[in-house]
Amino acid sequence: MQTIKTALLRTLSLFIVWWALTEGDSSGAVFGAVVSLLVALVSIRLFPPGTYAVRPGSYRLRILGVLSFTGHFVGNSVIAGVDVARRLLLPRLPVDPGSLTLTTRLPEGSPRWLLANALSLMPGTLSVNLIDDQLELHCLDQRMPVTAFVRQTEARIAAMYGITPPDDSGAQS
Amino acid sequence: MIEFTIQLVQVLLLITGCLFFAIGTLGLFRFRDTLSRIHALTKVDNLGLGFLVIALLPQVASPTVGLKVLLIWMVALAASATSAHLVARAVVSEQRGTEGGEGPDA
Repeated sequence: MQTIKTALLRTLSLFIVWWALTEGDSSGAVFGAVVSLLVALVSIRLFPPGTYAVRPGSYRLRILGVLSFTGHFVGNSVIAGVDVARRLLLPRLPVDPGSLTLTTRLPEGSPRWLLANALSLMPGTLSVNLIDDQLELHCLDQRMPVTAFVRQTEARIAAMYGITPPDDSGAQS
Repeated sequence: MIEFTIQLVQVLLLITGCLFFAIGTLGLFRFRDTLSRIHALTKVDNLGLGFLVIALLPQVASPTVGLKVLLIWMVALAASATSAHLVARAVVSEQRGTEGGEGPDA
């Protein structure tokens, strides 16, 4: 049952992508629908339902979490772009690169992967390596509060997936 | 009048986007190491692309074209994050290989 639901959901998502790519042209719609279904079936084989699901949390919490994470991500990627541009335009080039290894508290799978990728687009951090729960970052400026920022992003991702927030109140501000 | 204002805003957004792309490329020349250069290329160029996408949205012929433009943006974001990570990992593992088991920091 769960498989059928996932297959239908994936078919629908793929078809929306097809619909956008063909700019709503109806002559290719049937072909697109068939291809969407076939690709969804292949994806079920390759990534069975549940591969990325961490825990089926409350639906409402997740929607809010997605919005909150998206806002955090968009806002900070703008800050990141402006920040690097500002440093580049200053004659003295104020950077102090270095590396930093953190232990992530997110569970394995897509939450960790999302954290690593999102951090690459956020201010001052670039994901270099992710081995188990060890996340190695390259920091453009070591004077920036990188750790606090990573923890903040982690908490947003945890909320999005409906994971209980990491029980740590000491390092958090 | 409204149309003129929209066009003016679009032109400003397009110019801003192109400026960010130019600054991102400047990063290739000003930064001294590969990892810092990746910071410039991913972050600044993504912001530039964002400005271009927002500038183009009011002009789209139909909602599906708008969706397509947004799709391009999202795919470009995912691709740039992933490729930045892969290049960074390759650089660091190469550095460690040539340093022959020294400390992890360069």
